[in-house]
Amino acid sequence: MHPSSFEYFAPARMEEALSLLSKHSGEAKIMAGGQSLIPLLKLRIASFPYVVDISRIEGMDQIKEERGFLEIGALTKISELEDSNIIKDKYQILHEAATQIADPLVRNRGTVGGNISHADPSNDIPAVVIAMKAKLEVIGRKEKRTLNADSFITDSFSTALEEGEILSKILIPIPDTRSGGCYIKQKKSAGDFSIAAIAVQMTLGDDYKVRSAGIGLTSVAPKPTRAVKAEQYIEGKRVDNSVAKEISKIVVSESDPSTDFYGTAEFKKKILGRIAEDAINLSYERAMVK
Amino acid sequence: MNMSTVRWEDSDLAYDSSNFVRGKGHFVDDIKLQGMLFMTVLRSPYARARILSLKGGMNSQDLGAKMASVGEGADPGAGISIEPVFATGFVNYVGEPVAAVFAEDRYKSTDLLESVEVDYEPLKPVVTMDDALAFGPIHEGMKNNILVEATKGDDFSDPKSPIVLEDTLENERVSTNPIEPRGIVASYADGILNVWISTQSVHSIKEGLVESLNLNPDNVRVMQADTGGAFGSKGGLYPEYVMASYASMKYRKPVKWIETRREHLTSTNPGRGVRSRVKIFAERSGKITGMKGDVLIDAGAYGSGIASFSAQFVAMMMTGPYSIEKAFVTGRSLLTNKVPQGPYRGAGRPEASFFIERMVDLLADEVNKDPADVRLLNTSDKPFNSPLGMKIDAARPFFESAIKELEYRKEAKMTKGVGVSFFVLVPAVYPGESARIMVRDGRIRVWLGGNSHGQGHEDFVKKLVNEELNVPGDLVTLYRGDTGMTKVGVGSWGSRSAIVAGAAVVSVCRKLKKDVEDDNGTYSYELLLAGSYDEFINEEKRMTLNSFGANLASVEVGKFGTVRVKKCLAYYDVGRALNKEMVIGQIQGGMAQGIGQTLHEGLFYNEDGQLITSSISDAGVPLAEDLPNFGVKIAENRSALPHGAKGVGESPTIGVPTALIRAIEKASGLRLRKTPVTAEDLMQ
Repeated sequence: MHPSSFEYFAPARMEEALSLLSKHSGEAKIMAGGQSLIPLLKLRIASFPYVVDISRIEGMDQIKEERGFLEIGALTKISELEDSNIIKDKYQILHEAATQIADPLVRNRGTVGGNISHADPSNDIPAVVIAMKAKLEVIGRKEKRTLNADSFITDSFSTALEEGEILSKILIPIPDTRSGGCYIKQKKSAGDFSIAAIAVQMTLGDDYKVRSAGIGLTSVAPKPTRAVKAEQYIEGKRVDNSVAKEISKIVVSESDPSTDFYGTAEFKKKILGRIAEDAINLSYERAMVK
Repeated sequence: MNMSTVRWEDSDLAYDSSNFVRGKGHFVDDIKLQGMLFMTVLRSPYARARILSLKGGMNSQDLGAKMASVGEGADPGAGISIEPVFATGFVNYVGEPVAAVFAEDRYKSTDLLESVEVDYEPLKPVVTMDDALAFGPIHEGMKNNILVEATKGDDFSDPKSPIVLEDTLENERVSTNPIEPRGIVASYADGILNVWISTQSVHSIKEGLVESLNLNPDNVRVMQADTGGAFGSKGGLYPEYVMASYASMKYRKPVKWIETRREHLTSTNPGRGVRSRVKIFAERSGKITGMKGDVLIDAGAYGSGIASFSAQFVAMMMTGPYSIEKAFVTGRSLLTNKVPQGPYRGAGRPEASFFIERMVDLLADEVNKDPADVRLLNTSDKPFNSPLGMKIDAARPFFESAIKELEYRKEAKMTKGVGVSFFVLVPAVYPGESARIMVRDGRIRVWLGGNSHGQGHEDFVKKLVNEELNVPGDLVTLYRGDTGMTKVGVGSWGSRSAIVAGAAVVSVCRKLKKDVEDDNGTYSYELLLAGSYDEFINEEKRMTLNSFGANLASVEVGKFGTVRVKKCLAYYDVGRALNKEMVIGQIQGGMAQGIGQTLHEGLFYNEDGQLITSSISDAGVPLAEDLPNFGVKIAENRSALPHGAKGVGESPTIGVPTALIRAIEKASGLRLRKTPVTAEDLMQ
């Protein structure tokens, strides 16, 4: 409950935030919703001399479709994602992930950008943006750049963000017709992190064969993982039970879970196999009717 | 507030459960005194290490005291294995207090932890009970890691039985996790040490402080603050209480310490942590003819908790409510490099019941009979003295009606995953309890030797005072525990308060009635309230009471190994229910805890003795989604006491895990031997 002392800034503008980060380079931590950072601070697992709270910067909480992309501002609250009609109607995968994050209290404060940037291998949004082949826009003092979702997180709690950079928006390509996806999360109890979770998004051709697919995994490797081989295997196929089973095997082979409080590595693989099969079947079903 | 003259008139010392739902509770952390220091404790990061050097803070060089063993299941004779207040020479569990620091607020006192310099030489820890048996003693001067060894019953050579079944059964350690962690404010002024504390027993705390710090009992007063749950963990003394009291005397300033949840997990005595090899001998009919047991208790690093007592207590209850003619059980408490074991709701009763009930289910499967029938077959319609030392009332009539009341036969036909359990709760009656009633200004004020920590004792107090003295309940106030107001007293644990505190209240009321009659030649409550009276009694009780109980549970097991509890029913003999709503509320809360223990709760350590259960969420406290609608029925067979009460508080944590694990066993088709039952155990 009692962090070591730090200096707290709450800039109202992006330029101000960037200049604070630059001024206190190496000693400042960005805080958005604070739902991961504050517990670390209060238990003194982490401490920083400066905390830059970016949550008051305006114009970073948009959810809109524009120029072929669904654009989500990094400061969009998880609860806003959960309540958005666009997301509910057209992006079930995101809606399902959002509604299963922690509890309503956390979702009311936690942000989409924070969920990604914290790079916890058990956070849910990264696998979804990987499966949706999103692009992440990052702002630094000098330049703006765009990264692919699957290369943004480099390791447990590590990202490709350079010192002084802030994740500003998530750009998700608007899915074609005959697209569908889902997020399946298996957890011990309500509000908990997952034992394993999977995000699947696919688009079918006129022949109902899978034209493209994205698969992201949560909690089963040191970082959120893209199941590339499984994606390749499914492309060009119609999904039936035996295909779904085969894909689930490939997904499991691409995972690298560790034994920890949530269970043994073998158990997590077993869970992953079963939810992968369900997720492939469900996504295909959804894509067929869209 | 002038600390030396805290008066009973101070309205914030009254106990009123409705405060808790009105946000008006007055907890330890609400107490703020002039000049108060906040204490933070530096704890061992190692399960076992030699302290090579130690500098800074308050530490064993300032206070070399040892912990007194007081409260529920206390063992003053634990010798070498008694915990020091501050680690001395060695640390023996992760979270063991090494030093304390003090500052005007918590942030600053936490910062001060860095001012303490400790050099450790890590040693290989003894983490599991198997390690404890295999390796040398964790404490110098002991021969091995056996803290205590007890036997119950007479040994016998294995009879030639048609059926011999053997199994190893275990309950993982469980953190008590009351919603309010532990806490204390100690204030020394004018030669008096005043202590406000979150506790089940002000008298145990006083006795412990007096003994540990060698104080004059007349100069110590312990007062209970509102206590937000305890479940066994707040009945005895802890090192932090001694440190805070000592510091308040040394610095001549009030000292506050409030436990964090993390500290609660590492350093508050958890319950369970018990394993047993059990062997039963039986006839083809399912009649059990003999039992042998080898019980192991994970005592943790020191004998200051309940572990010494547990060895013989668990062993004694191993035949449950059944009439088993031959039984022999050994109990051994084993020292390990973990936080000492303490009582947790049931404190040995649920463990013993788990062992016998799991064996009865195994036997039922072996003889291909309904488990309820095998249970009934082994109960008697006459009182029975067990070979292990239990006095059991005629059990069969109760259990026959339990099967009907729980509609077990119907459920067993409809549902695959169903379990039923029988048990006998023997409440901790001995040595009795005290009560004091003061009549002044037209009001009745009551103090009990043991105090409520969430049960709502004021309801039975008002009811009994009303019955005995005709005084309307709204003129009766129960005060929180206060050693300044009761000379002696025991505490609230072991399902005892309604029994022994209730009996003491009845006796004091009868004294008062006599006082009024002596003064006036007749009694009326108006005469009582017009007068001024003050009576105290320390009512000794040593009778054995039985509260029988049965539970039914039904479940479904999903494809990910998740358990959905569909039904959880109870049928308990509570004696005369002094307040039915409170009784049902207690049962429901306990059933939630029984489900928690069975499905989720555990404290898990890695091979270095580090606790990997890192939050209240990890510790598996049950959530609303885990719980079905409970069905509670009570039988009211009066006890021999004047007010007819029996025990109830611990019944659900005894009866629910055993019924529930059987239901899961039936639903999954897997033999289950351990709580918690995890999804991993069940996923096939």
